[in-house]
Amino acid sequence: GSAVLFLVHSAPGKMVENSLLPGRAIYDFVLLLSSQFGFILYLVWAFIPESWLNSLGLTYWPQKHWTVALPLHLLITIVIGYVLLFRINMMSTPSLNSICTITDNYAKNQQPKKYQEVAIPALRVISTSEVNQMLFLAAKDLYTKN
Amino acid sequence: MEDERSFSDICGGRLALQRRYYSPSCREFCLSCPRLSLRSLTAVTCTVWLAAYGLFTLCENSMILSAAIFITLLGLLGYLHFVKIDQETLLIIDSLGIQMTSSYASGKESTTFIEMDKVKDIVINEAIYMQKVIYYLCILLKDPVEPHGISQVVPVFQSAKPRLDCLIEVYRSCQEILAHQKATSTSP
Repeated sequence: GSAVLFLVHSAPGKMVENSLLPGRAIYDFVLLLSSQFGFILYLVWAFIPESWLNSLGLTYWPQKHWTVALPLHLLITIVIGYVLLFRINMMSTPSLNSICTITDNYAKNQQPKKYQEVAIPALRVISTSEVNQMLFLAAKDLYTKN
Repeated sequence: MEDERSFSDICGGRLALQRRYYSPSCREFCLSCPRLSLRSLTAVTCTVWLAAYGLFTLCENSMILSAAIFITLLGLLGYLHFVKIDQETLLIIDSLGIQMTSSYASGKESTTFIEMDKVKDIVINEAIYMQKVIYYLCILLKDPVEPHGISQVVPVFQSAKPRLDCLIEVYRSCQEILAHQKATSTSP
């Protein structure tokens, strides 16, 4: 790859403690209540027989088959997601003979900047040939230790 | 002048680099990969035959055993002829070009030749390969449209995959020849 110089700029920003805002506590509480309610509703749907629910007047439920099927589908999706993500990562890595590993549009179109004596030199993408010459031809013993 | 040294590849296997200096403008580098080991061959054969025997005890069909023998033989022949590369050679001739030869375990040889006019540079590049970042030597080809552009990247020693110390040796020798070639081509 080419050598690029990074200038790290750190600005002291204001840090706001998120846990002190009152709005966040309300969101947390609402989320807790709704998730507990949802879980108890799911248990009721799964375990209580149809006849009891019908006698209470609640007749419009999805089939009980889905109480087992939905968590299973979710679990399989997560497992396949792991495998799929790994595969997609490997497929989108450029191969060894692709031009992306050497250069790209930014490096081709960059304008040469004038060298100024006092200032820090401007950011520039150095070509692979130059970097190789600096690393492997000039410094003779740097890389030969095993 | 001939010279032989041993290096290691990215997985830790042993490689032998043979350098031949025919003349100041012609050099050859020959990398020999480790031979097919008897241990891995017996391991693969035993697993295939044990699996076939397991299937045979389930199905009671003796065709499975003969099919397993056929598959093992054909697989071995195909592997030796199409996959297993024994030796990779890089020959650089100053004003002519670069030739890369791969010789397979069954004796087959495949050759690629690149003219010196098309060669821009030979560099050591780093890239991600499987789960590693490796160094590999590659030939950069000139772009006919743009004078300073690169049209193609040709990696060299693809199946041997030597480590950086071996690559630096080959890189330095190649750069000597390329520098010599650029000096003679620009002078009238």
